[in-house]
Amino acid sequence: MQERCVVELKNVNKTYYNGVATPVLFDINLCVAPGEFVSVVGASGSGKTTLLNIIGLLDAPTSGQVILHGRDVSQFSEDERAQMRREYLGFIFQFYYLLPEFTVLENALMPCRISNCKDMNAKRARAIELLQQVGLGNRIDYHPGQLSGGQQQRVAIVRALTNDPALVLADEPTGTLDSKSGLAVFELMKELNRTTGKSFLMVTHDEGFAREADRTLPIVDGRIGG
Amino acid sequence: MWDSFSISVAIRQLRYGITQTFLTMGVVAISVTLIIFLGSLIGGLQKMILETVTESIPNIVITQPKRTPLTPRDIASLRKKGTLYIGSGTTLEERTRKIEDWMFWLPRLERFDPDITAVSPVVEGQAILSAGATQRGVQVTGVIPERHNRVVNIESKLISGRFFGLRPGEIVIGYQIANDFGLKVGDRARLSTSTGNTVTYRVAGIFNTGLPTVDNAMVFVTLTDAQSLFELGNAVTSIDIKLAHIFDANTIADRLKLQVPYKIDSWMRENQELLTALSAQSQSSNLILVFTTLAAGFGIASILITVVTSKLREIGILRAIGATRKQIIGIFTLQSTLLAAIGGIIGAGLGIGLSLAAYRVRTAQAVPGQGGQVFPIDLRWQLVTGAIAIAIAVGFAASLYPAWRAAKVNPIEVIRGQ
Repeated sequence: MQERCVVELKNVNKTYYNGVATPVLFDINLCVAPGEFVSVVGASGSGKTTLLNIIGLLDAPTSGQVILHGRDVSQFSEDERAQMRREYLGFIFQFYYLLPEFTVLENALMPCRISNCKDMNAKRARAIELLQQVGLGNRIDYHPGQLSGGQQQRVAIVRALTNDPALVLADEPTGTLDSKSGLAVFELMKELNRTTGKSFLMVTHDEGFAREADRTLPIVDGRIGG
Repeated sequence: MWDSFSISVAIRQLRYGITQTFLTMGVVAISVTLIIFLGSLIGGLQKMILETVTESIPNIVITQPKRTPLTPRDIASLRKKGTLYIGSGTTLEERTRKIEDWMFWLPRLERFDPDITAVSPVVEGQAILSAGATQRGVQVTGVIPERHNRVVNIESKLISGRFFGLRPGEIVIGYQIANDFGLKVGDRARLSTSTGNTVTYRVAGIFNTGLPTVDNAMVFVTLTDAQSLFELGNAVTSIDIKLAHIFDANTIADRLKLQVPYKIDSWMRENQELLTALSAQSQSSNLILVFTTLAAGFGIASILITVVTSKLREIGILRAIGATRKQIIGIFTLQSTLLAAIGGIIGAGLGIGLSLAAYRVRTAQAVPGQGGQVFPIDLRWQLVTGAIAIAIAVGFAASLYPAWRAAKVNPIEVIRGQ
């Protein structure tokens, strides 16, 4: 069954309470369609990371609904959200934080290990295929410490895809890379978006990358503007 | 509680962070070594003290109670109340404290309880020992050697001559007396009693019990020699009893009191101070063990907290990509429990090795007949398995706080907060 939206936000508000109430997001309505590549841009403090955390089920909205894969997850418990993240979401962070104790292939298969997945052999074959696609086919038994930053980020991208998520969330994935590696990583994400049909939602500072997306969401002072 | 994910991450991190792994295992191993070595040393010390004392004394002694005549005043006061007083503590005249019917009691005592392993009739009295110009007051103990040896082992404490097969006219003395008097086996010595009896004996054996009060002041002669020396006829002064389980002495003594018309003394009541001291020593050694265990626990916890802190970002990522709090807790509790188990087993090996090495340490024989063992080691398997079990339990407990800290990591904060 194909949902209209992979993820849908309805009237989402987020306010942080640190002694004083600090509203961060106001009435966000958003739908990411299957296969869509969405970029989120905005100044520092505009609330784009908070938005990403709410979509990524790492944070809960103060009010409003988050509908992931047809289920309203806004009132889910922490463990239920962890399970939803495992099943439907892939994450790419600015810092890739691969586990140094595990090889490239093992890191790529980490989500599968966490969920104790049954079809490990199929997942392994898929991970190797993806690693070849990102140009690391000959590095699968290396440890992260033996790779460059760009190479590690590419492993992190593969890691985000091995559990076959509906949506891949990327938080400034090129932020720590030099422009050449950054471009390569971005191109790779675009290519994977095309070849795998997964939806991507990327927070970025880079105007150039943002324009390459199917759709750009500018966040201004906690609202979708532009 | 530990799934394959927690297990694989835990083990991988242990293998990868080999320094922390060795540090933690080292803390546990040293603590377990200490617990086992100290435990077996203190246990051995206690056992040695207890054995030295209990080997040289009977567990239960049966004697004639002291009976004193009532004074006319006592009798007058009793008559006033209109009571006729007949009690076991009274007699018409002061009597020698002796047991006439010991031959009647001997077989009955032997059958009284399976815990009673030996019964020995004894004649005890004070006399002056003299040889040449030297003389000293001694306690003369008249026994049937083969029988008495099962109550108090003298035969194994001999440094020369014999105890078994002691004949009338022969005497066995402590090595300190032998030294002070310059006596050897075959030499002659005299015993004189306060009633004026003097008899000459030939030294048949010399013993060393290790207890100065015994080696310095005790001599053994045959039962019949002692009976005639102290003019007791066929009577004895006490019946000594040995038990299989020495700590049953109070119970058995209390039961004997109901059936035997004599005074029954248990070694435990006579040596209350020693037992109190031993128990205080046990408690203080337990205290040392508790603090050693606590120190190890805090050591493990602090190392693990460092590990958790250094891995916050990896933990955050794992949480973000779907690891549950339970899985994160599993990683750290498993690591700690594994380290404690391995460290505990290594420590047990070291502790056993150290204890056995200490057990073998001997001094040059200062006194003939003594082993010259420096450390009295009593190594029990309960101590070893107990120490390992405690190490594992402490390892698990010590990991709970660090694991909880890891589990409550907020993925967003650690991933972004550089």
